[in-house]
Amino acid sequence: MSTEAVETPIHYPFPWTPPMEIPGALRGLREKAVVTVTLPSGDKALLVTRYNDVRSLFADHRLSRNIARPDIARVSKDNDLFMDPKIDPDPPHHTKVRGLVTRAFTARRVEALRPVAWEIANDLMDKMEAGEKPCNLNEAFAFPLPIRVICKLLGVPAEDMPKFRALVDGFLSISKLPPEEVAASRMGLWKYLDDLIQSKRRDPGEDLISGLIQVSDEDNNRLNEHELGFWTQGLLIAGYVTTASQIGTGTAVLLHNRQMVKEIQADWSLLPTAVEELIRCQIMGSSVGTMRYAVEDITLEDGSVIPTGSSVLLSEESANMDETVFPEPFTIDIRRKENHHMTFGAGLHYCVGAALARMEIQVATEGLLRRFPDIRLAVPGEELPRGLGGFMEGFTDIPVTW
Amino acid sequence: MRVEASNDTCAVGSLCVYRAPGVFDQDDDGHVLVLQPNPPAEMHEAIRWAARSCPTKSIKVYEDE
Repeated sequence: MSTEAVETPIHYPFPWTPPMEIPGALRGLREKAVVTVTLPSGDKALLVTRYNDVRSLFADHRLSRNIARPDIARVSKDNDLFMDPKIDPDPPHHTKVRGLVTRAFTARRVEALRPVAWEIANDLMDKMEAGEKPCNLNEAFAFPLPIRVICKLLGVPAEDMPKFRALVDGFLSISKLPPEEVAASRMGLWKYLDDLIQSKRRDPGEDLISGLIQVSDEDNNRLNEHELGFWTQGLLIAGYVTTASQIGTGTAVLLHNRQMVKEIQADWSLLPTAVEELIRCQIMGSSVGTMRYAVEDITLEDGSVIPTGSSVLLSEESANMDETVFPEPFTIDIRRKENHHMTFGAGLHYCVGAALARMEIQVATEGLLRRFPDIRLAVPGEELPRGLGGFMEGFTDIPVTW
Repeated sequence: MRVEASNDTCAVGSLCVYRAPGVFDQDDDGHVLVLQPNPPAEMHEAIRWAARSCPTKSIKVYEDE
């Protein structure tokens, strides 16, 4: 038996206890530059903990993004999210594919969508006002808003949203749903997207999916049929669940810290830094999605070595709590200006939707705090349930009143 | 101050456009454009902030030029 087996295993993702606080496991974690963690599947991976290492490894080509390998750690035995042997997520091929979608996410395109996001937010808040109090902020506002924005951008018909949402929610479950239900959701989602692509091919619009179909039809080497489906699915999932969870859970954290709400309402120019700070605190998830595979030995800043063949997780939440980079990292500071956090990653895989997400979260937060000046949690913040077991660990039920 | 940005490494994070508008812009694909390579003094602080923010470190600022 190796000496390592004697040590207490560190389970990852880290538990949220109490649910309103940043996981205690993140305190002191950076004493070691890399720690071995045990995933829900039972597999082990190396978790990189320090800001400088995380930031440089996000841009390091010796870590492959291709996780369709027999010897890589699995987050869950039942979920194969983004594990597709027919997809090459590394440069140089991926850089070309990525270039096809970045044009839809420029600052100019995002700002053109800001009035659309306001329109959707206002519509949802009208419905909240007309409905019963308290209501679940996730259901009434946080989840419908980003799905309507991303569906508009991609060209998904409004009437398909409930069906699409149910499929995504099932697919993203790691351990809370039985494996056969996860598999059924996965199949259902592929079928849905396949049908959508076929209908767009017959009847193209001005949306991103239609644009990608055109590229694929013109030159199969740039984007083949399978990649078209895979990346459409990736954009839909990434554009929906992450932003939704951040809006709901970020708002809950703000409402729990009433003083911050009052400060923002007294000075709206604080809103962008407040939103950015809540994104830094990464209150709704872990870094299981950063899984990479070392194709060479990699030496970290302090001399620690990640051996070839390791499964590697780049801990965004630990980097974001690095005391050498962020003064008082465990304090939520809505005025923090030097806030170059790792929640959206770094390097060539930097979140393509980051500007879109920021815009939506800004609109959502400002909208709620302006329309409902007295908005508050209807239960104590410490009692809000978290969605453990899924890729998204934000609060699942956020009763609010005003 | 002189400002350069690398189109090859730019990952279209868009932060520079938000933090120093008028100095940085994007082409149709989203890659960074430097509109003012020798920006006026009042923009310098915003440009340094934008450069520190860049997720791919694609912005180079030469202070003495």
